[in-house]
Amino acid sequence: MKYGKLTIIGIIISIIFVIIGCIWLSLSVETFDEIAENFGVKENPIWNPPLPDYELPGFEGNVLINTIIGIVFTIVVFIVTYSIGNLLKIKESKKSK
Amino acid sequence: MHIPDGFLDLWVCLTMYIITTIFWIFSFRKTKEILEEKHIPLMATLTAMFFAAQMMNFPIIGGTTAHLLGGPIIGITLGPYLGLISMTIILLIQALFFGDGGLTTFGANVWNMGIIGVFIPYIICLAIVRIGKNTKSLLIGAFLGALIGDVLAAIFAGIELGISVLSFPYSIQIAVTAMATHHFFIGIGEGIITMIILSILMRSRPDLLELPKAAPYWLGEFPKILISKGR
Repeated sequence: MKYGKLTIIGIIISIIFVIIGCIWLSLSVETFDEIAENFGVKENPIWNPPLPDYELPGFEGNVLINTIIGIVFTIVVFIVTYSIGNLLKIKESKKSK
Repeated sequence: MHIPDGFLDLWVCLTMYIITTIFWIFSFRKTKEILEEKHIPLMATLTAMFFAAQMMNFPIIGGTTAHLLGGPIIGITLGPYLGLISMTIILLIQALFFGDGGLTTFGANVWNMGIIGVFIPYIICLAIVRIGKNTKSLLIGAFLGALIGDVLAAIFAGIELGISVLSFPYSIQIAVTAMATHHFFIGIGEGIITMIILSILMRSRPDLLELPKAAPYWLGEFPKILISKGR
């Protein structure tokens, strides 16, 4: 299996994860959120994210848009990691020494 | 397991940032020494895959949910330092774009999921592989490493919340017990997923498991004997 094939399979599996996550497993109730709620502790965000809770403001609960956001950002994560990897990799000149 | 802003006391946030920064420095240094062209597609693919996997929230107990971390498989295949970099990318994008995990608590979240959730599985897997010296030991090590890594990451999150007496008025014992119990179940799932991905890599691309791993020098080399046996 070449790298291209491995990457394509990985991206397809990722997209399946996103679809499952957006359709069937989207409800998130973290353990400490539950504990905090019992005590009236609230989040105190210092930053307003553009897509809170993986949803586009105004389109909350729209599975299609949430899935598209998930897929786009999965590809963004891939590209960012690939780029950082390229920046950090051993330079050919250094390797041949 | 993403702790939001406002749940941890300032001193806890600062302490976790300092500890995590030390690990970041070592990670980037070590990565620059060993990262080859061959590592990059696997690193990028696994990072993207577990960013997506973290979107799946599995119901556990008491009406709560938990998600896979992804750190164990990235740590075991590429080494914990590369695993830390991958998890940092995931957590940073989640915090900046989705508000999943806070920015003041970013150091703590990286410590829990990117350091404990990566280094512990690697160390456990390495120890078991050194004892067994075969592919079965790799899979058992991966399962146990992932399970224990997830539970320990949850325990650390519970400790951070428990010692944040000003922000989170809950005793450390209750916070730790709740986190550990709930994440034991997701740890089993993480262990199974880690074993499945490793099995696929052993069959299709064993050479990727032989790549140099970005790990601390004191841990020594990951035995290569098992890959040739796995073919």
